[in-house]
Parts: sequence; C-alpha cells; structure tokens
Amino acid sequence: MEEIIGKNIKMNTVREIHDAFDSGQLSPVALTQGYLEVAQKSHHNAFLTFCEKRALAQAKVAERLIAHEGQVPREKFPLLGIPLGIKDVLTIDGVRTTCASKMLENYVPPYTATVVARLEAAGAVILGKTNMDEFAMGGSNENSAFGPVLHPTHSDRVPGGSSGGSATAVRAGLCVAALGSDTGGSVRLPASFCGIVGMKPTYGRLSRYGLIAFASSLDQVGPMTQTVEDAARLFEVMAGHDPLDSTSSLRSKENFVRTCLTVPDWSRIKIGVPNEYFVSGLAPNVEKSVRTALQWFESQGAKLVPISLPHTSYAVAVYYMVAVSEASSNLARYDGVRYGARPSLASETGDLATFYERVRANFGSEVKRRIILGTFALSSGYYDAYYRRACQVRRLIQQDFDEAFKTVDFIASPVSPTTAFRLGEKSQDPLKMYLNDIFTIPVNLAGLPALSVPCGEDSEKLPIGLHLIAPAFQEGRLLCLAHAFERRSA
Amino acid sequence: MIEVNEALTRKVMGLAKLKLSDGEVTTFTAQLQGILNYIDQLSRVDVQGVGSMTHPFDEPTPFREDVVCPSPVDTEGRPKTLLSAPDVLDGGYKVPSIL
Amino acid sequence: MNVHLEFEAVIGLEVHVQLSTHTKIFCACRVRPHDGKSVAEILVNSNTCPVCAGHPGVLPVINRKVIDYAIRAGLATNCKINPKNSFARKNYFYPDLPKGYQISQYETPICEQGWLDITTQSGSKRVTIQRIHMEEDAGKSVHFNDYSLVNLNRAGVPLIEIVSGPDMRTVEEAGTYLRALHAVVTYLGICDGNMQEGNFRCDANVSVMPKGSKKLGTRAEVKNVNSFRFVEKALEYEIARQIGVIRSNGAVIQETRTFDSAKGVTVSMRSKEEAHDYRYFPDPDLVPLLISEAWIEKVRSDLPELPQQKKKRFEIELGLSPYDAGVLTSSKAMALFFEDVVSALVNKGWNPRAAAKPISNFLSGEVARLMNEGDLELSQGKLKPEHIAEVVQLSKEGIVSSTGAKQVIATVWKTGDTVHSIVEREGLKQVSDLSSLEPAIEKMIATFTHQVAEYRAGKEKLLGFFVGQVMKETGGKANPGLLQELIKKKLSGS
Repeated sequence: MEEIIGKNIKMNTVREIHDAFDSGQLSPVALTQGYLEVAQKSHHNAFLTFCEKRALAQAKVAERLIAHEGQVPREKFPLLGIPLGIKDVLTIDGVRTTCASKMLENYVPPYTATVVARLEAAGAVILGKTNMDEFAMGGSNENSAFGPVLHPTHSDRVPGGSSGGSATAVRAGLCVAALGSDTGGSVRLPASFCGIVGMKPTYGRLSRYGLIAFASSLDQVGPMTQTVEDAARLFEVMAGHDPLDSTSSLRSKENFVRTCLTVPDWSRIKIGVPNEYFVSGLAPNVEKSVRTALQWFESQGAKLVPISLPHTSYAVAVYYMVAVSEASSNLARYDGVRYGARPSLASETGDLATFYERVRANFGSEVKRRIILGTFALSSGYYDAYYRRACQVRRLIQQDFDEAFKTVDFIASPVSPTTAFRLGEKSQDPLKMYLNDIFTIPVNLAGLPALSVPCGEDSEKLPIGLHLIAPAFQEGRLLCLAHAFERRSA
Repeated sequence: MIEVNEALTRKVMGLAKLKLSDGEVTTFTAQLQGILNYIDQLSRVDVQGVGSMTHPFDEPTPFREDVVCPSPVDTEGRPKTLLSAPDVLDGGYKVPSIL
Repeated sequence: MNVHLEFEAVIGLEVHVQLSTHTKIFCACRVRPHDGKSVAEILVNSNTCPVCAGHPGVLPVINRKVIDYAIRAGLATNCKINPKNSFARKNYFYPDLPKGYQISQYETPICEQGWLDITTQSGSKRVTIQRIHMEEDAGKSVHFNDYSLVNLNRAGVPLIEIVSGPDMRTVEEAGTYLRALHAVVTYLGICDGNMQEGNFRCDANVSVMPKGSKKLGTRAEVKNVNSFRFVEKALEYEIARQIGVIRSNGAVIQETRTFDSAKGVTVSMRSKEEAHDYRYFPDPDLVPLLISEAWIEKVRSDLPELPQQKKKRFEIELGLSPYDAGVLTSSKAMALFFEDVVSALVNKGWNPRAAAKPISNFLSGEVARLMNEGDLELSQGKLKPEHIAEVVQLSKEGIVSSTGAKQVIATVWKTGDTVHSIVEREGLKQVSDLSSLEPAIEKMIATFTHQVAEYRAGKEKLLGFFVGQVMKETGGKANPGLLQELIKKKLSGS
C-alpha cells in the first residue's frame, strides 16, 4: 500500500490503479481509505471538506462492480474507483460548498455540477472539496477565508492560485487527480508552481453549470493531474455539450485519450515562440528551463518560429476590467436572502440597506476590491471608456492569436515569470500579484485551450511549468504534444 | 486619467452594497488609483472599427423546449431551493421590511 | 376638463406582458396553472429551482417559445425583427430579484420601430412602438410591519416589455391604446390577459406642456397599474396634479410614483428611490440570438387573425359599422363570443348579415353594461352564445319586447338559466294576440274619451299616450308595435 500511495506518486495514475485493481493488488475501498487518511493527516490545508461516508460508499460500489465483472469495466466506467479532489468552487448536491468564503461557510447546494456528475457517472470517487482563493480570486491561494494552502514540497511557499488546494493535493499524493477552475491562469499557474499537469480547455468545452461563477466569459473547469494522460482521461469523461449551459459548445467530443497517446508528426509541427513573452522580468531559471524544452522540440524535428502577439502588454489590463466587471455582477446574488451567511439575531439585522451591508461584509478584501473595481467599470459615465474599451482590446488580443495560428500549430511560453514565491511576498500589492498572470491571461481572453506541463526545476528545486497553447478546440493535438514532451528521455 | 477620490469609492460602495471602514476606504482608494492608472494604457490603443467582444466564439444559440420539469423537492416534499434559506417564515424568505 | 384648454399632456406607456408559455424564460419551472391553481396561488416558493432561485453556479437557457411569442408580438405591431439580438443584465439589489440582476435586453431588443393604429372620438391615430424586448419577471413580496416575505414562484416568468413612443396626448388615447394592445396580445394567444393576476401591467410616463409648445415638460412615471380604469384615473389625476404644480410656479420633479386606487391619487415613491445606475452590460451567460428570415416567416404564416383584420372582416362580410365592429373586436373573448352567436343563428337558418346587427346591439348594449357594472370579464358572467342567439330569435318573433330581452339577458348573466325558463318564470312573454289585446284597447278607449276625441280631431301625437295606457293595463307585456297598429286601426275605424 505505501508503495502506491504518497511516496512514489508516479505509480498512481488512473491506468496503473486500474491495473492494480485488476491484478487484485489493490481494492477500491482500501485505496479510498488510504487517501482519506493521508489527506486528513496532512498539514497542507489543501482540503476544506471531506466526504468520507459518501466516498467510501462510492468505493464500495466500485468494488462490487469489479467483482461482478471480473475486472474493471474501463470502457463504461473509465474512472472507476479513482479518488479525486474537487475544487470547492464546484457544487455537489448535499455537500458543503464554500468557495473558500465566509459568505458560503455553511452553504449546501441543492444540485451537482454537470462535470462532477459526469465524473461520478464514470465511477470516480469524490474524496472532498479542495481549498482555493476566495471566489477564485487570487494567484497564490493566500485569499482563502479558511487559511492559506501550503506548497506541497516547500512549506514556506505558495502553491499558486486560485486552484492551490487541488494542485497541492495532487502533488502531495492526497488524491489521484483533481479539478480546478481557470479564469486567468488558476489551473495552469498552480500546476506550474507545484510541478503537475494542469489544463484549461477551450472556452465552452466543459460545462459551467455548477461552476460558481467568477467571470462568466473566461471561467473554465480544468483537470489537474500527475500526467498528461490522466488529464486526457478526466477531460474526455467531462467533455460534451450540456443543455444546462448556453455557452457550452455544441461540438461533439472526440477520443482525446487516443489522440493524446499517439506520436506527434514532428516534421509537420511548428511551434510559435512569442517575442513579447521573453522579456526582462522573467526569472533566469524559468527562461532556461523553457528554452531547453523548446530545444527538445526542435531536436525531434519540430520547427520553432518566432511570432509576435503585439497586444500582449494590454492583456492584464483588459482582464482586470472584463473579469472584475462580470464578477461584480455574478456576486450580487450573495445578499443573504436565499442562502449564505447573515446576521442571525434580528437585533443585528437593521433595515434592508444595513442588512445587505452586513451580509456582504462576509467577503474578504480581495473580493471586495474586485467588486468595487468591476462596479466602477460598468457604471454610468465610465462604461464606454473602461468596460467597453477593454472588450474591444480583448478582440484585438484574440486576433493576435488567430494571426499567429495561421503560421504555427502551437505556441509555447513560460507559465509564470517566476517559480513559487514566498507566502506574504506579493500579497501587499494587488497589482504585483496580478502581473504574475501575464502569460496565462491572454489565453482566457481568447478562449483558447492551454496547459502547463512540468519542464524543470530552479536552483531551489521549485518546479517550472511549460505553457503550451493550441488553436480553439484542438485539445487532442495539444495533449498529444504535451504527452510526448512529458515522456521524453533526458 | 481618472482621478479616484474617496467620494467615488463611497459612491461605488453604495452601488455594490459593500461597507468599508474609513481606513479601508482610504487604502482601497489608493489601490484603485494604482490599478486604474495601470489600466489607463488601454486608452492609447487604436480600437477604431473593432467590435466589442463578449463571447470568444460565434456558436449557435442552444434553445430549451417549452416542457415543464417539476421543481426539485427533498424526500419530504419540501422545495430543495428552500433548504439552504437562512430565515423562512410561512414558506417565504424573511427579510427586513422592504417598504 | 378645462385644464386641457391651456395644457397638453404627453403620455408614453410601457406595458409588461406576461407570456403564457408552459415554462419560465430561463428554466423549466411552471408558468401555466395546473390542478386548477394558478402559479400565484400554489404553495409559496414551491415553484422554484436552483436556476430561478439564483443559486450559486446556475445558468440560464432560453425557452424557444418565448422567442416565438415575442416575434408574434412584433409582427402584429408592424415591428422590425432584429435578426441578431442579445440579452443584457440590469443590475440592482432587491430581495425579490434573486440574482441581484434581471436578465433583459438593452442595446438590441428583439423588435423595434412598430406601431398600432387606434380610433378615438377625435379620429384615428398612430401610436409608435419604439421597442419590444424580452425579460424575466421578479418574485413577489408580502409586507408586514417590520419584515417582508419573499416568494419566488413568479421569478423567471417570461415577460415582453412593449414600449410606446410618447405619442398619446389625452387620457382617452392612452386608454384606447392600452385596450387595443391588450386585444392584440390576447388575440395572438401569447398572453392570458388577466389583469388582476398581473398578466398585463402598465407603467405610464406622463408630462404636461403648454398647448402648442415644442418643449416637452418634465415627466413622472406612474408604475405598475393593473387595470384600464386605474390607468385612466391615474393619468387624469397626474395630469391635473402636474398642471397644478406648474400653475403655482413650481417645477415638476422627475420621479417614480405609484397609484393609490382607494384614494384615486398618485403618490411619490421618492423616499424609497435611490439613483439607479443599472450598469447594463451584455450577459456573458447567453450567446447572441440569431433569428433567420425563415423563422420569422414561419411565425408570420401561423399568426391568428388580428383585431384590425377581424374588424375589417366584420365590416365587409357582416355589414357592421366601423364603430360596432370596433366594439366587438375590442377583446378576443367578445369577438369569439360574437362569432359563436352568429354561427348559432346561421344554423337556425338566419342570414349572417341579418343576424349581425341585432347581436351586436345586445352585446355592445346590455352585455357591455353588465360587464362594466360589476367590472367583470365576459367569462365571469354565465352568458353563453346560445343564450344571445335565442334572445335575438325571440325578439325577432316579437315574443319578447326589447325591455324583456334586456331583462332576460341580465338574469342569464347572473343565473345561467335557459332563456325559455326565464321568460316563463318572469312572465316576459309579450302579448301579441288580438283576443288578449282587444279588451284592453276597448277599456282604454272607453276611459279616455276626451283624448280619443282630440286624436280623432287631428292630435296624432296622442297615439303614444294610448299605447302607454294599454301597456300599463297589460302590465307592460303588450307588444308595443302591434299595439300601435291595432289602436290606430280601431280609432280610425269607428
């Protein structure tokens, strides 16, 4: 058991676990129990809620199914018995969902998010809800109302955010894989900081029904896994149109796992390297690792092509207008009337105006800051100059990518200018924190698929992630490229 | 370049139903000024003839057919949406007087 | 009113029409009544789901039928249908607004630039319709001393908002426009039209200016008035109030007011009003709606006959005057009822053109009177088309007098009894046979010898007096037309 859980995490992929189930080496209930124990004992604060009873019941069902079939029915239940962590931004019927906010401290949703329901229908076991930045707003997981998440290997560092809990949980062996959400980099950045794989699909590929909204035109759920193949497995189970989400793409899903496992046709691959991304401010270790990765692609036969994404420098500004504006509206529903924390004593309630203020005092300061910024950007007199203009520049940023993809098949860059920074290092200056997302944000603005795959370490053994971007709806090819890179021999 | 002063912060607070302490108002105002100064670079971009983007792609509209789905209830027949309500009286959500 | 001599009112109306689809606009919760109870009557908050209750993580999906109905409304009012239109969020805080914003349409409504032609005492007028847009209804609250209770059963019910231009100049024009619009939406089958249940709600924008002036006055908005009468009363009051303000050298304040129907006055809501900045922006959860020409044409080809078309048909095919045709088509219920009565009589061998006028007289006469008296809808009385057909038949045959006919109708309205049983029971059969009338006539001639002599001497006006006396004698049951003939004959004979 110890060989499989916790210590040697390379043994814990979906395929390996299913092989172990088949050979009788391992049972689903024992696996789930083992993970629950490790996760509950850990000091990372990666989980906010454990679903012990529920998870064990799911594991039992998996066990019975395998006993009945004689082996894991992998076609019908591709994730049977696999313990997962779910970022606490996704709803599960009957399970406390907090968004790491005092506002929803005791909120129990009456329905389950579509992507989670699909994972469960594929046989997955949900261990619990992972910690995050409050309402997905943050880049370091220091904004949780329930304490920061610690980096999986370096406890004085941040794991990245906002899906820090999921990233740490996967890397520290607290679960096999996890779901995060990515609005401006919140899956890819923590994946990069923690040394795991994190993918943000094309906007619309994964249903947002049950994904508690931060910025509706940018949010996407993403798998966070130990390997690219596992990311493909989770993604394939979740993908497909959802009639409950009007922004969910009508495109049919493909066999992403099969495509992921094929060998790339290297001679026909062109990888774009954006001039604007390799500028000062990039940590030398990070640059070196990423360039080494690029050289590897070249060595396989791919061509590296310098490209320009001229509006890159405006991306963060655009994001911080568009995302906060949508957020200010999405968070207006937290008014204490139908759910959420509110003053319990009538004597504390006051009149309606006071009531609203007291209820909404349950937001942390980063959330409040973004709501105010967003409210401002949409308000009369400022809408055209701020929100509308940002939406126009957003179109220009998307056009930059459209142009680039006329000549290249993928785009590569660092995920972040730095590796994991220290707790408290950037939290005093919001703008400094925002600039961390400078490479990941343009992808959300354009709606493109991208992922982070580990490509090295710095001198302190902090992980570095390689950022790969593909044209819209080409996750299959993206996963294939990343998988080949991951499997490279040194 | 927009000048953010505490009056503007307070006006926006009112619209968003957020209450900040006086100290927070001062801090936020300064932070907002910094952020908006940074965002001001967008005013220098040439957006002549560029459409405003709300959705990344032009996908066809998905419709719902006009068929009733019964409201979800728990095992005792109570509307599920009410279960998370902090204060319910006679089945209604109780709030301070609106009038 | 004298006030109108110096001043002119400028009125624009915004009507919220609740659509009679099966489900809400963005979720699959119920909108139509079932088990005999309307949505308003069922258990509080039992008609909700996570979507319309605005739970975290939910998303809207548009009901296709709502778009069909909105296109119908647009076509019936000569609007241009926007082939690409979007939804926007209207942001404000209110306990019965679950998401803290209402999904509506702002920059690109589904229909624009239409009109409705109306006819008033002063003639025809075209009222422009600036826009029709789709939006969701909010929940409802009940208020107590120190708390309110919110019921979200109605939250998410589909609405179309129909916004007129500021084209009306009198209360009569406003009332006529509203009734015409109500007829259109009920004829189209997109709205039940029950104003007490809030299916058709009117906000009025009204200002006054000196007659002939080009400069519009400041306007006030009177919100949420739920009956034609109340709209008219509210407008009358508000116009007079504004004129009063101006006459005493005050200035009209731009504000929202509400109508107190008990006192018949409008009251300012200013103390509750904050400067609303709705911060409209395109809703990122809903992709733009693309409406093809084919879709519009399909809706157009399925349109039912509209009030104006029916009115024209009544005039041409049935020979009714424009006025009569107008009254009959003022509501769908009335028009259909009329058509049913015509059919019933045609089945009895009547020529439809011959049947139309007497039926029209009864409907726009006694029936309309009964409806107004109780402020009721046609369906709320117990009258059926067969009843009117019978009354028309009996009247033609002289079996009931015109007074008798009215009495029958009034009784049927209340009781639903058969016409025959009422005529029997209330003794309304007109006396038309000679053997019954002759003795009464003889008696009258013997009693009023002086007047008979005057009549014979040339005072022909006395014939009416004679008829009246015999009517008295027969308890009002004599057939007056026949009586007149008999008396004339008798008096000229001997």
